[in-house]
Parts: sequence; C-alpha cells; structure tokens
Amino acid sequence: MKSLALRILVCGLATGLTLEAALPQTEDELAARTMIMALENIWNNAEKGGDAAALSLILDDAMVYIDEDGSLLTKMQFLEQVKQTGPQLQSLVTDAMSVHVYGETALVAGTYRVTGVARGKAFHREGRFIDTWVRKNGAWLCVAAQATPGAPGDVK
Amino acid sequence: MKAPWKTSQLAILAMVASSIQASAQNPVQERILILESAWNQAVQLRDGKAVEPLLGNELIYIDYDGTVMNKGQYMASVKSSALHAEQVTNEAMKVRVYGASAVVVGVYREEGTRHGKRYLHRERFVDTWLNREGAWVCVASQSTLITH
Repeated sequence: MKSLALRILVCGLATGLTLEAALPQTEDELAARTMIMALENIWNNAEKGGDAAALSLILDDAMVYIDEDGSLLTKMQFLEQVKQTGPQLQSLVTDAMSVHVYGETALVAGTYRVTGVARGKAFHREGRFIDTWVRKNGAWLCVAAQATPGAPGDVK
Repeated sequence: MKAPWKTSQLAILAMVASSIQASAQNPVQERILILESAWNQAVQLRDGKAVEPLLGNELIYIDYDGTVMNKGQYMASVKSSALHAEQVTNEAMKVRVYGASAVVVGVYREEGTRHGKRYLHRERFVDTWLNREGAWVCVASQSTLITH
C-alpha cells in the first residue's frame, strides 16, 4: 500500500513538471528545486521502508550508486540492497541539503545520518552525498548517487 | 598573447591527449576524458593555474574523508606544500553525456607523500561537468575511498 501511495505521488509530481516546463526559467528552476527536494524525501522514505519498487520509479535505468565502501552498484544491485537493508534501518536523515539546477541537470549535496540494527548490533553511520538528477521527458531521474563516510560536523 | 594559464592548460592538454585511448564513443566523451587527465596532470604538478579553468566557480568538492570544499579551498589544497602527489591516474572511467552535462564515474589512484608520509589512495569518484558556451567545467566532484 505504501508503495502504491508513493507511485501516485511520483506520477503526480512528474505530471506537474510537464506543466511547469512552459514557465519562465527562474520559475522553472524554482519548481525543479521543489520537485527534487520532494524526490529526495521520497527516496529516504522508500529506502527506510525497503520499498525498492517505489525507489525504482525515480532512478534512471543506467543509474550508478557508489556506496560508502567505494563499491559501484548498478540500479538493480542498489535496489536489491535496499530491500535487504531497509528493515534494518531505524532512521535515515538527510540534512544541510543544497540543490543546484543547471537546466536539465540538477545536483543535490548534503549530509546523511543512518542508525539501525544489523545482526543484533546497533550501528550509526554518517557522511556526505551528492545525487545527480537529469530531466528526461519531463521527469527527473537520478543518474548517479554517491556516499562518502565522514563526520559532517568536522567539516574543514 | 595567450594568458599564462591558457598556455599552461594547453601544454597539459597536449601532453595527455595522446594518452587518451580511442575508447570514447563520441567527441564529447573524448573531450571530457582529456579534461579529466589534464586535471590529474595539474594536480600532480600542483599547477593551480591549470586546474582553475577546469572548474566551475560553484564547484562542490567532497574529498574521500568527507571534507567538503569550495573552489577556492580546493585550489588551495592542490597548491598545498604538504601534498606531493607523485603519481595520479584514473582507471575504468565511463562518461555519460546528458545534453549539456556529463557524468564521469571512475577510479582515482593517487600515490605520493603528505606531510612527509607516504600514501596510496584508490577512490571511486563521480564528476559532473557542464558545457558553458562551449567550454566544459566541472561543478561537482566526490570521492569515496575503496575499502571493500
């Protein structure tokens, strides 16, 4: 049911984008920022819930994901990982996000904090990420995402 | 008369152009790969003037340890006397072009000394390039240490 709700939301957002394409550039950029922030929230909820089906809708088929250990995952590999690790997550919080829109490409940079329990052991991880989004046929899709571990509080 | 940085950049480009294999599928991909190699050469030479035109003013640079830098901070790190990169290479690069933007995924290998101590890093990176009036500039670069 949650997956269905997310699908409806994604479809609604995508439809809205098509309408916004005719607006002046600045308004289009503003709409793009709002859209991308919404998509980032959808991502977090889907990942936390292990909802690979919902997440799949906002990822480009050629999307690449670079995990905290430097491993390179395809979309399918990432979705499989989400299915497995989602139930382990207690919280997934992104913060300090900035959205940069460059026409049909957008970048989101921010920090993340993840807590959970895996094999009976609590874990806490944090770091920085950049997600790269591209607008294809009116819909924004993530084409690359990367996580780099580190303590965001220790920014130099 | 060409500006000094242009001379420097062209010299580096000429040096690395021959090293780019014909693996790139189109001229844009080939161009981006040349710029990636030029960036490496400039880092190795601590040539800030050569690095500068490769980067957009709004650059977001996330280093392998999670440090985030803007363009000025990154430029300073390239020129830092504490860092001496002796060998800088990229491996397994793939370029995807999306109109006026391009995303490069690859492995960055750097070997050298920092504060007198030897180091060797292998990092997976994503660089995002934008085409601005015919010139490609990198606006985001992130690295993650390969530990798996």
